[in-house]
Amino acid sequence: MRLIIMPLLKINGTTHQLDVEDEMPLLWVLRDELGMTGTKFGCGIGQCGACTVHLNGEAVRSCILPVFSAQGKEIITIEGIGENNPVQKAWIEEQVPQCGYCISGQIMATSALLSKNLKPSESEIENKISNICRCGNYVRLRKAIRLSAKLIQKQGG
Amino acid sequence: MEKYSLLRRAFLKKSALTCTGLMVGLAYEPKCSLAAKVENLEHLGIWIRITPDGKTTFIIPSSEMGQGVNTSLSMILADEMEADWQMIKTETAPVNSDYINPESNSGQITAGSSSVKGFWGPLRKAGAAVKLMLRQAAAQRWRIPVEECSARSGHIYRKNSSQKLSYGEIAEAAGKLDIPFDPPLKKSKDYNLIGRSVKRIDIPSKTNGSAQFGIDVRLPEMTYATICQSPVFGGEVMSYDEAAANKIRGVKKVVIIPNGIAVIADNTWRAKQGMEALNVKFNGGETKGLESKQIKDEFIKALDAEGKTNTEAFNVLDLEYEVPYLSQAALEPMNCTANITENSCEVWVPTQFQEACMDVAKEISELNEEQIKIYTTYIGGGFGRRAETDFVKQSLILSKELGKPVKVTWMREEDIQQGFYRPASMSRFQIGLNKDGFPVSWNNQLASPSILKRFFAPMAWFNVDPLSTEGADEIPYAIDDFNLDYTEVDSGVPVGFWHSVGSSFNAFFIESAIDESAHLAGHDPLLYRLKLLKGKARFQKVLNKVAEKSQWGRELPKGHGLGICLHKTRGSIAGAAIEVSTVNDLLKLHKAWIAIDCGKVINPNTIRAQMEGGFTFGLSATLGEKITIKDGRVEQSNFHDYPILRLKGAPDISVEIIESGEEIGGVGEVAVPLASPALANAIFSSSGKRIRSLPMSNHGIKIA
Repeated sequence: MRLIIMPLLKINGTTHQLDVEDEMPLLWVLRDELGMTGTKFGCGIGQCGACTVHLNGEAVRSCILPVFSAQGKEIITIEGIGENNPVQKAWIEEQVPQCGYCISGQIMATSALLSKNLKPSESEIENKISNICRCGNYVRLRKAIRLSAKLIQKQGG
Repeated sequence: MEKYSLLRRAFLKKSALTCTGLMVGLAYEPKCSLAAKVENLEHLGIWIRITPDGKTTFIIPSSEMGQGVNTSLSMILADEMEADWQMIKTETAPVNSDYINPESNSGQITAGSSSVKGFWGPLRKAGAAVKLMLRQAAAQRWRIPVEECSARSGHIYRKNSSQKLSYGEIAEAAGKLDIPFDPPLKKSKDYNLIGRSVKRIDIPSKTNGSAQFGIDVRLPEMTYATICQSPVFGGEVMSYDEAAANKIRGVKKVVIIPNGIAVIADNTWRAKQGMEALNVKFNGGETKGLESKQIKDEFIKALDAEGKTNTEAFNVLDLEYEVPYLSQAALEPMNCTANITENSCEVWVPTQFQEACMDVAKEISELNEEQIKIYTTYIGGGFGRRAETDFVKQSLILSKELGKPVKVTWMREEDIQQGFYRPASMSRFQIGLNKDGFPVSWNNQLASPSILKRFFAPMAWFNVDPLSTEGADEIPYAIDDFNLDYTEVDSGVPVGFWHSVGSSFNAFFIESAIDESAHLAGHDPLLYRLKLLKGKARFQKVLNKVAEKSQWGRELPKGHGLGICLHKTRGSIAGAAIEVSTVNDLLKLHKAWIAIDCGKVINPNTIRAQMEGGFTFGLSATLGEKITIKDGRVEQSNFHDYPILRLKGAPDISVEIIESGEEIGGVGEVAVPLASPALANAIFSSSGKRIRSLPMSNHGIKIA
């Protein structure tokens, strides 16, 4: 009989003790075990970015992150970034979402990027925000990233 | 030959009509769209519910899949009934024939860019009828003539008085009144929502993770399943190691399903682990041994059998184009949740096709329609794939087997490999040009799999499929001698509806061919088209708008090229130009300009979004998407080898909306067909390289 480790996860400020296999990807712990379905499954191989969450402030793709490597770290999901987050506001203002399925990932990737650098270059943006939007919302996405930076700056000042 | 082609063409049109009639089954009878029977007093007909606190719910007859239909249809209702926009909520309609789109010939479905186009008329009438009922109820309350009661922003106002009643206060009384059949409609100058850029109702919930897609459904006692189907289409399960799967923690059951197998567990990932342990092997299948090369040979054989037309003209263009199979690859993987009990069946599903879901639910549950409920969730991308019910059937089978709610979630690999693909196609042209370089004869032979024959077999017997020929059968250019021949080629690879269907390839073929004609003749591609559009003011206006916005004719930087194109589909006319630059085969997309004439404009915000998104979707396919077949199965499996365009590489797009006031057209798919020809024509302009087969990556072209 194998010994089942029970990972302790700190998600959006709350600690959860879980009875799951340590290699289960964080995505499925969030979605199926904890019912936090804002984080989406898109590809399972870290390609599309729909599952993006923050791990100690870094954007990570939770579909390929075994839950054991998230232990003891600060996990933030789309449900945990607050109702009045400037990035969300920018997404509403620019009317970015179409079907909306990729949006949690876009917002999490953008807020991680901007938390480190409020003036990213065009190529930094293109390389960091590599999330797939199948509806093709990139025209508005580009605008919303810039607007987010402005709103964060305004909030800070 | 020519006579034969013309006959064939006439037949094609006629049989397309016949087919529509047969597919209807029961003809849809347009009514005032306010059914008399209502469940309770909050209901004012089948579209609108108002509670005493004034909260107003609109029942939306189409699936919300990102096209913004919850908002645009609500705008139509709210404007006519003078509702308070802040009080509006939406619900997607249940399965009920009253909610069938008048444009639909296959029942309750969201497809063909038809939601606003089809419901524009009925919903205005419904809104106007409810407004009149509310005014009548207020008139009765105040004992005054109805003419002295006016409606505005969720209230009825009394003439020459400060008295007012909220809709909530009089909704119950209004609900008891007869529904007027022919209520007066607002004049367009009085619209306060229609024609304005209104922010979408569903967007806030899509920015905080709270929007519920099908994949997010959670029910008490629900189990989680995943499936694996024979990678060779139509193959059967040969062997599997059930004991190994059962050793995986959480695995509850292994079930054989049509052409595949399912593992049910207490969590999606565990079901996937179980599937891997199962080590399932398949055998047989209709496409066993098939290679893409063979399919291409079949196309060529079919085209050779059609033969080329001998054209007597000053100059003759002899062209051949080719496009691959494509996957819709909606970002939300296929999924469905079903719960079948002894006397009830409930299905939660991101579907475009409620009617077909009901049919499959009846078949599997063996219950009657009254016992079955289909709940449409938000859809994480449809693009035609969610007009199919394969994944719905699977969840029903598994729930019936287990006696519990089951959510089936496909892995991405299944989605890419078990598709109903955009048909691969080949098209040939022999175009005769006169001494001025303008076409006098247009001979087009198209070889393509039939999408419709799956629903209506006789299609293939007569080499007819209006979905395969759409966009090629009616071109806007004035050419006296026009011939189109279609031959159906069936490779066994399943085909289906893909964002803009036949236009997705025919626009590439036609708008490339006309561009090639212009260049051969030494004419400017814009002026050449305009000349051939003589007397077609709407087409000219669209093209001129694209030219104006893209500053067609300006001097371009070295290595830059500008390509232009025009296409009519779903009742709307659209044109596009794109500026690119190429250095060797490294491509940069600088900017695109689109103009659309969709007759009437409901929400410019969503029209622009659909134009931007549809064009980008088309660019993605043009640049790098392809489904190829090796040893009977799809070679691609996930986004690493089925590349979707990302932010890096996606151009800025500007959109111009022309409100011509003509009959309302569709929007959702209209920009998709523009991308391939605009890009191919731009690449020719920048580099002199003419791309006649897609994707561009096959020619070594990639994003810089």
